Amino acid sequence: MARDVSIKTITEEARQIKVVREADVVVVGGGPGGISSAIAAARSGASTVLIERYGHLGGMATGGLVNIIPNLSDIYGKQHLFGLTQEMIDRLDARGGTSYPKKEDWGTTDKNVVEYYHDARLDWFYIRRDYNIGKERVVYTAVVDPEILKDEFNDMVLEAGVELWLHSWGTRVVMDGNSVTGVYFESKSGRQAILGKVIIDATGDGDMFVAAGADFDSELDNKRRTAWLAFNFWLANVDIRKYDEFKASHAQKYEEMMQELAKLDGYPYFFKGVLKNQENVIWYHTMQPQPESTDAMDVEQLTRIDVRARKRALITYEFMKKHVPGFEKCFIMLTAPQLGTQGGRRIIGEYTLTEKDLETDEVFEDTVAVLANNDYREISTKHPTLCIPYRCLVPKSIDGLLVAGRAFSSADTINETFNIIPHCIAYGQAAGTAAAMAVDAGIQPRKVDYGELRKNLVKQGVNLPEIEKSAAVTASAQQPPVVRNLLNPDR
Amino acid sequence: MKTIKERARETRVCREADVVVVGGGPGGIGAAVSAARNGADTVLIERYGYLGGMGTGGLVTIIPQLTDYTGKQQIVGITQEWIDRLIARNAVDYPKKEHWGSLDKELVRYYFQRSFFMTRLDRVVYAAIIDAEISKYILNEMVEEAGIKVYCHAWGTEPIMEGNHCKGVIIESKSGRQAILGKIIIDSTGDGDLLPYAGIEFEDNIPPNFRIANLALCFWVDGVDLKKAMDFRINNPKEFMELNRRAMEAGGQGGFMPSNLPNQDAVVWFHNRFPNKSQVDVEELTRVEFEGRKKMMKTWEFFKENMPGFEKSFIVLSGPQLGTRSSRRMIGEYQLTEKDLADNQPFEDTIAIFPDLDRGQESLDHPNMYIPYRCLLPKNVDNLLVACRAFSSDEHVQDYFNLIPHCIAFGEAAGTASALALQANVGVKNVDIKALQKQLAKQGVPLPDVTKKVDYKYDGPALVSSAFTPPH
Repeated sequence: MARDVSIKTITEEARQIKVVREADVVVVGGGPGGISSAIAAARSGASTVLIERYGHLGGMATGGLVNIIPNLSDIYGKQHLFGLTQEMIDRLDARGGTSYPKKEDWGTTDKNVVEYYHDARLDWFYIRRDYNIGKERVVYTAVVDPEILKDEFNDMVLEAGVELWLHSWGTRVVMDGNSVTGVYFESKSGRQAILGKVIIDATGDGDMFVAAGADFDSELDNKRRTAWLAFNFWLANVDIRKYDEFKASHAQKYEEMMQELAKLDGYPYFFKGVLKNQENVIWYHTMQPQPESTDAMDVEQLTRIDVRARKRALITYEFMKKHVPGFEKCFIMLTAPQLGTQGGRRIIGEYTLTEKDLETDEVFEDTVAVLANNDYREISTKHPTLCIPYRCLVPKSIDGLLVAGRAFSSADTINETFNIIPHCIAYGQAAGTAAAMAVDAGIQPRKVDYGELRKNLVKQGVNLPEIEKSAAVTASAQQPPVVRNLLNPDR
Repeated sequence: MKTIKERARETRVCREADVVVVGGGPGGIGAAVSAARNGADTVLIERYGYLGGMGTGGLVTIIPQLTDYTGKQQIVGITQEWIDRLIARNAVDYPKKEHWGSLDKELVRYYFQRSFFMTRLDRVVYAAIIDAEISKYILNEMVEEAGIKVYCHAWGTEPIMEGNHCKGVIIESKSGRQAILGKIIIDSTGDGDLLPYAGIEFEDNIPPNFRIANLALCFWVDGVDLKKAMDFRINNPKEFMELNRRAMEAGGQGGFMPSNLPNQDAVVWFHNRFPNKSQVDVEELTRVEFEGRKKMMKTWEFFKENMPGFEKSFIVLSGPQLGTRSSRRMIGEYQLTEKDLADNQPFEDTIAIFPDLDRGQESLDHPNMYIPYRCLLPKNVDNLLVACRAFSSDEHVQDYFNLIPHCIAFGEAAGTASALALQANVGVKNVDIKALQKQLAKQGVPLPDVTKKVDYKYDGPALVSSAFTPPH
C-alpha cells in the first residue's frame, strides 16, 4: 500500500462549539509536567482545570511504564530535586509503592550497592562514574509502582482542588490575536472548549503551541535517545533465582542465546523489577527507532512502530519461555498502554538552554529548578548541577501560554538529558505557580516577577540557590549575566 | 449555553479507501478483517495503541456465550479464529469440547468453580478466557495479514456528511486533525460516536437496574497464593464471606476470579460495576475513573492485610480503558426489541445466531436470538453501517446481546456486506442478502434455514439453577 501523498483537503465549516468551563488556568496533558502544573496552580489559588487524554494520570511514569524517577541527586549523593517530586515519593513510600537506595547510600561507592543495580541492569538509572576518583557511585533514583502512583496522583490533584477531565484529548487552541485563550478538546461528549486565562501546554509534544502557531524547534539528531520511541512491557512469573544460577553457571551459553534472540529481532536485555513483592517481575524497556522522522508526530509511523514493537515483544517472550531457565512459566503481564515518547518538538522560549550552560554554572536570576547534571561524564563531575531559568517555559512569540514538560526551550542536546520525569515535574511546578501569579496580577506570564516566583517556589519546598539582589536582568534579556558560581566543582 | 465560534478550515485528506472502520474493538476488527478479506481496500482507525477494545484494554478478557444450551456452537467465524490463534500460543482457557452442553453435575460444578462464565442453565457452556496481551498481538497479526491500513493512536471523532451520505471521518492524532475518505463507513466506536453528527436517530435510555447501566474499572492482582486463598474459601466459607463483606464495608469490593490462564496461577481478577448516568458523558467517565481507582486501592489494601493468600500480592494493572457496557443505540431499519426475545422464527436476513443463556426458563424457551442485517443499517444515511454494541436494539435486547462475540459477529456481517456492496456497485442497503448469507456461511458463520417454519418447544429436564444477571 503506497502512502497517499496528496494534499487534498476537505472544508470544515465554521461552527459553534460549546464552552463547558472557564477557569484561571487550563493545563493540557496529565503527565508529570501537567500534574505538577495543575497542583501548583491550584495550590497557589488559581481555579484550575486539567485535561488528560487517557483515563489515568501520570503519562510516561504510569501508562508508559517508564516507572523510574532518576537523577534526584547528583553523583555525589546530594539531592537537588525536592518539591512535588519528593512529595510524590513520600506519599508512595507510605503505601509501599516505591523503592530507592537508602539515604546513606546516595553517592556511595560501596561495591555491594553498586553491584545490586548493575545486576538489575538498572545502572543507567542508578550508577554514575566519578571521574575524580575513577569509581562508580550510586545516585538517588526511585522506581515507582505505576498502579499505586495513578491513585496517588488522583489524590494529589483532587486534594489541591483541581478539576480533572479524563478521556479528553486537547487538540487545538482558541486564539485571540496573539494570545491563547482556551483549548478545544475531543471526548465522548463531542468537541467542546474550555477557556482559561493562562494555558499550560503539558502535552509533552507541544501540541498546543503548534496549534497556536508558536515558533518551535523539532530538529533532532536521530542518534539521540530522544529521537527514539520506547515500547515497554513487563514479564511476570519469572523464577529469577533459577535464571541467575543459570546465567552464572552458563555465561557463555547465555550470551549465545541472547545473540540468537537478537538475530530473531527480539530484545536481549531487561531490567530486574525492584519493586516490593515483585521479585518475579522483569521490565523490558525497548528502544524503537523512527526511520522516517524523529519527532513522534507521524501517526502512520507511530502505528507501524507499535505493531512492529509488539511483534518483537512476542518473539522475545516466546524465546525466553522456551529456552531460558527460570522463564518456563512466565507470561506477559502487560505492555504499556502508552507508547514511550522521549522527545521531539521544543518551544522557542525567552531563553534557550544549550550545552554551553552546562559548563558555566550559571545561576539565572529566574532559576526555577536545580537539576542534577549526571550524564555528561567528566563535565558532570566538575559541574554537578544545571539551573533552569523560568524563561525556558515562556514562548517567545505567543501570550497566555506556558510550556511545562519535555518541550521546554532547549537545544536537542540539553533536551536529551533534562527532559525526564522529575525534570518535567519541576518545570510544571514552576509553570503552575507562575500561571497562578500571572492570573492574580492580571499580567502575562512572561511579566511575572522572578523574585516573587522563586520565593513562592521555595515556600513549596523547591530547592533553589541564593541569588544576589544586585543582579538586575530584564525579562526580555536573551542572555542573563552570570550571578555567581553555584558550587565549588572540586568539593 | 455559552459557545465559541470555531473558524472554518481546510483539513487535509490523508487517505482514501473503500471501507473506513472507526474503532478497533471486537466490532471493528470483525468489520475490517472481513471487508479486507473480501477485497475492499480498508482502513481501521483506533484511538489506542492496540486493538481489541474491551477484550484487551478493558480487561474484559472473556469471550462468552458461544454455545447454546444444547452445546451447539453458534458463534464461530472470526471469534473462533481469534480463539484458535490463542490456542496455538497456549494463551486461552475454555471447557473441553466434549463437555459443552453437559448436564453432568460434577462437571458443571468443576467448570463453575473454574469460571463463572463456563456454566449456564445447569449446563456447561463454551466460553473462552483469553490472554489480553497475546490477543493484542494476534489481532495485529490478523489485520496485517488481511492487508488493512491501520491508524493507531488516532481518534475518529466525526463523520464528514454530505446530505444523507457519509463521505468519510475526521481523525485527531499527533499528526493533527486529518480526514479519511471512504465509500462505506462503519461505526464500530462502541458508543455510536458517529451517530449524532450524522443525524442518525438513536436512543440512550437505560434503566438503572440493568447490567448495561454500569461502567467497570477491572484490575488484576498478582503475587497471590491462590491455593491458600482457595483452600481458605472452601474450608472456611463463612469467614470467607465475612471477609468479603468487610472488604465492601471498608470501601472496597469483595469477590475475585482466578485467571486460570496458563502460568497465571498467582493472578486474580476483580471485575466490578459502577452505576452512572451516561457512558458518553466525559464528566461521568472522569468521576468513575476516580471512584474506581479509589475502590481498587481499598480492595487491594484490605485483601493484602486480611485475606489468606494475598499477603504478598500486588496490583498488576488496572484496565487502560474503562469497561463500557452501553450508551447510544441506533434506531435502524429494524430494531430488535423485547418481543424478539420470545420469537423463535429466524429473520429472512439473519446474519448471526446468538445463544440466549442468561434468562433462565425464558432462555430455554428461546435458545437462540437471530440477528437481522437490518439492525446494522441506519434509516437515513445510505453508506454507513453500525457494527458494535450501538446496533439497533431496545434496552432489553441490548442488555443481553452486546458482548464481545456478538460485536465481532456484527462486524463480520457489516464488513462482508460492505465488500459485496462495492463489488456489486450497490448501496449497503441493497446488498443481495442471499449472497451475503452465502458468503458468511463460507466464512464459517452458522446461519439458520430461514425458509423453515420453526416449531420449537423445550422438552429437557426442569431448570434447577436460577436465572441471574452476569457481571458482564
